Amino acid sequence: MAAATLTKGKRRRKSNFGQDNLVGYLFIGPWLIAFFLFTFIPISVSLLLSFTDYNVLANSGDFIGLDNFQRMFFEDRRYWRSVNATVKYVVFSVPLRLVFALAVAMLLNTYRRGVGVYRAAFYAPSIIGGSIAVAVMWREIFGNDGLVNFTLNLLGIEGPNWLGRPETAIWTLIILAAWQFGSPMLIFLAGLKNIPKHLYESAEIDGANSLQRFLRITLPMLTPIIFFNLIMQLISGFMVFTQAFIVTQGRPLDTTLFYALYVYRRAFEQNEMGYASAMAWVMLMVIAVLTAFVFRSSSYWVHYEADEGT
Amino acid sequence: MAGIEAQAPAGLSAPRVVRPAVPWCQRAVARTVFYHLAVGVTCFFMLYPILWLVGSSFKPPDEIWTNQTAIIPNEFYPQNYPNGWAGFGGISFTTFYRNSLFYATLGTILSVSASSVVAYGFARVRFRGRRIWFAVMLVTLMLPTQVQIIPQYIVFKQLGWLNTFYPLLLPRIGGSAFFIFMIIQFIRSIPVDLDEAAMIDGASKFGIFLRVILPQLTPAIITAAIFSFYWTWDEFLVPLIYLNSPELYLVSLALRTFSDPSGQTDWGAIFAMSALSLLPVFVIFISFQRYLVEGISTTGLKG
Amino acid sequence: MNRTRVLLILFSIVVLVLPSLSLTAQDMTEVRISWWGSQNRHDRTIATIELYEELNPDIDIVYEFQGWRDHWTKLSTQAAGGELPDIMQHDYARIEEWVANGLLMPLDGYLESGVIDTMNISDSSLAGGMVDGQMYGINLGNNSEVFTLDTDAFAAAGIELPPLDWTWTQFEDIANAINEALGIHGIGVLTSDQLWKSQYMGCCDQWAYAADGMSLGYEDDQPLIDYYNMLLRLQESGGMQSYEDSVARGDQGVEAQLIVTQEAAMAYHWSNQIVAVWTASGEDRNFVMYPIPRPEGGQSQNYIKPSMFFSITSQAEQPDEAAAFIDWFVNSVEANEILAAERGVPISSVVREALLPNLGAAQAEMFNYLGIIEMDNSPIRPADPAAHADVINNVFGPEFVEPVMYGMISPEEAASYLREEANRILGAQ
Repeated sequence: MAAATLTKGKRRRKSNFGQDNLVGYLFIGPWLIAFFLFTFIPISVSLLLSFTDYNVLANSGDFIGLDNFQRMFFEDRRYWRSVNATVKYVVFSVPLRLVFALAVAMLLNTYRRGVGVYRAAFYAPSIIGGSIAVAVMWREIFGNDGLVNFTLNLLGIEGPNWLGRPETAIWTLIILAAWQFGSPMLIFLAGLKNIPKHLYESAEIDGANSLQRFLRITLPMLTPIIFFNLIMQLISGFMVFTQAFIVTQGRPLDTTLFYALYVYRRAFEQNEMGYASAMAWVMLMVIAVLTAFVFRSSSYWVHYEADEGT
Repeated sequence: MAGIEAQAPAGLSAPRVVRPAVPWCQRAVARTVFYHLAVGVTCFFMLYPILWLVGSSFKPPDEIWTNQTAIIPNEFYPQNYPNGWAGFGGISFTTFYRNSLFYATLGTILSVSASSVVAYGFARVRFRGRRIWFAVMLVTLMLPTQVQIIPQYIVFKQLGWLNTFYPLLLPRIGGSAFFIFMIIQFIRSIPVDLDEAAMIDGASKFGIFLRVILPQLTPAIITAAIFSFYWTWDEFLVPLIYLNSPELYLVSLALRTFSDPSGQTDWGAIFAMSALSLLPVFVIFISFQRYLVEGISTTGLKG
Repeated sequence: MNRTRVLLILFSIVVLVLPSLSLTAQDMTEVRISWWGSQNRHDRTIATIELYEELNPDIDIVYEFQGWRDHWTKLSTQAAGGELPDIMQHDYARIEEWVANGLLMPLDGYLESGVIDTMNISDSSLAGGMVDGQMYGINLGNNSEVFTLDTDAFAAAGIELPPLDWTWTQFEDIANAINEALGIHGIGVLTSDQLWKSQYMGCCDQWAYAADGMSLGYEDDQPLIDYYNMLLRLQESGGMQSYEDSVARGDQGVEAQLIVTQEAAMAYHWSNQIVAVWTASGEDRNFVMYPIPRPEGGQSQNYIKPSMFFSITSQAEQPDEAAAFIDWFVNSVEANEILAAERGVPISSVVREALLPNLGAAQAEMFNYLGIIEMDNSPIRPADPAAHADVINNVFGPEFVEPVMYGMISPEEAASYLREEANRILGAQ
């Protein structure tokens, strides 16, 4: 039955909301041009390099088959530590960021006086960037007598030496990520604004309480945006670089050696661009599979107003 | 967090104004007080990094490290600002700000407008290869820039574009995958009925994009513009590689050029210029964010 | 209405600030130069370049500068693209790798013909730039490792200053005594790879790497094990800052050292960094510079190291003009009055003499200290092998220093793993 309606639906749309190759390619033309001019070559070259021992300074390398992959999987202990750190980071920071972002967006989606100021404040940690002053600042905040331990002290808890202990260092970066929830928050805010008001009005007439309104209207209407934020947070979580680069440099004991940081180090500190490219492509495969999985799942939980089947 | 969860739906209370006000009055006041208290305290923690940065930027050189945790300096030392602004060998931050404003503004306009057009193509036009190109676009987000830098450098060298803004700006004519995907999601939550109505009236695809879709995308476009400006403002790896002449340096590059781990560094000047560099990003945010809530949403099938 | 206004404002910004997209080259000989440094170095170097252009109106020196880390990212990209500048600032730990890949030009011809004049420069000052018997970098300033002592803290603790040829045993006692008397650390962590490299000079007249760079240069792990056992004792007693604490504070530059904040009475660093230490501490503090302690009955662990080089790249378009500029940069008193020994003690004796009368307290101490080292030192060893960065970043730091200092494995175990892995990497170059 489902299949029948689907094909029927498709045919209907084909005829009246038509397939149009020329118009489609005109619209995505700018992207295609930029892709083939500026992105296609570097990406393909990096794929080729991953099968070589290309060294940046020598500007040459030999084809070595799968040696780079064998090396990273079986011979490089730091590689697995970087995998470990990255997975831990993704597993904790992605849900934390999304929950914070959604909660705060809900809180700030009002007409109250001063809400603009609050939004700016909540967005502030996300725009302070990655300069060296910021590195000093994060260290100060998580330092022995910095803001975090000072606050814990007020609550009667003796804080650890956050950045110095192998058990806690990665948590500072996870907390830092949760703190910088500004970009998914803004996207949620924009999404909330797009929910038609009349839906709430009619729900209120039906006597729905606020929790019901949230579950029946806000959440379903927001699923395309939640889906987007989930995918993008997943991708950027795996590619996390700046925080570790400026604050911990992978220490202590490689517990914060994020994958992208290790790739960068192999590429530009040891000049082993071949090996670095191989590592990057392995990560790309992993992210691509995960993303595809989330896309597959989306038909079960993402609600589109314009459901015309991608 | 439970407080916020329970509180959250109350945030959507605008329509409730039509209800009889008297029995609600006291509860509403209590709520408002609680709201501002909770949000206000949280705000302090959110703003702490910036307060500390600004405070430190007024510390004299022998106080920066010796009085590190304090937000308020013992001795007020505004000299850090002119010291930092002076830049390097006569090339001051006036130059760097001019370059950065130029790059971030033009880059944002290019990126966001191209992304909207491309996103519309992906979201509303059905064409052969759509899903494949969309997947390819997402995959480009998954490869770290670091391993693309060298082949890309050689491409731009062949084009003769080293030491210009072209390698930074021209790739943006295709939009950015992040914004394209984001705007696609927003377009897909707009019902197709309006498109179809316009189509019956004889509007072309581009006409629908301009007159039907674009007005409803304001929140998404504003959001994209805020991000794009900040990301462009903050970008350093690509500018570092392509911009050689100090006259072309950006604020982000200049900030990284202040310090040397093995030599003498004027930390006060770094803090001063880092604090100042947040200003344009903040201004953009403050002036744009109100579009995310003000006014009545034009969305919906109400009419 | 509002939206249009915003767009209008944005548009006018773009038009107003539109800078020229590319710069036009003038009709002069262009010499490109690139260095790393901080604001102070950029200011001084640019002023020196402007003076040179004034003296040589037909030369246009086109300069690029960046921070330390960015310097190498940018320059290795330029190397791969065949776009290296004529002159680049280079580092002792990296020069061999660049020479091995044919990216630098030997300067021996310019030394022989006198384009780069070495009349007033001692051989020991030049030796650091030699790789495989040829000259690839001109030293921009002499440097040596130093233990800086806070004399006020020593006085407050009632501890006498040690003799200049102090030993590691004396050092350990002093560090502990300071900790007991003042409740601060004796010194920050001493786990730098630099100390490992020079470790074997003092006891055994050896060096971390073999002369050919294909293996480690020492056979006996025991001195290294003894040294790390001492560090573990000091970390335990508080005579030295704990490694954990140093990781938490991170590499924030010279100014963040414990001696600056009076959390330690001694500091280990490079001699040219004393200026930064003193400035950040305040003018009223008093410091004195000491050589590295030596093993009982051993010889000096100090050597004179070039702080950095100017090298001419093999992709240079104007090598002759570049050499002439380097000569002036090193030998001219006028130039060095502007540069003010910021890169270390100048190698030309004439320049040194000329600068002496105008030195500040910190610089005077630095000049004096290098005088002491010049009388008693070990000869400089060959530049680090090409795989040095690999050994340090991937083995010495994460597999030796960190697990030992966090007490995960014993120094014995770590030292033998270090030997095994380092030899594998060095042998495979």
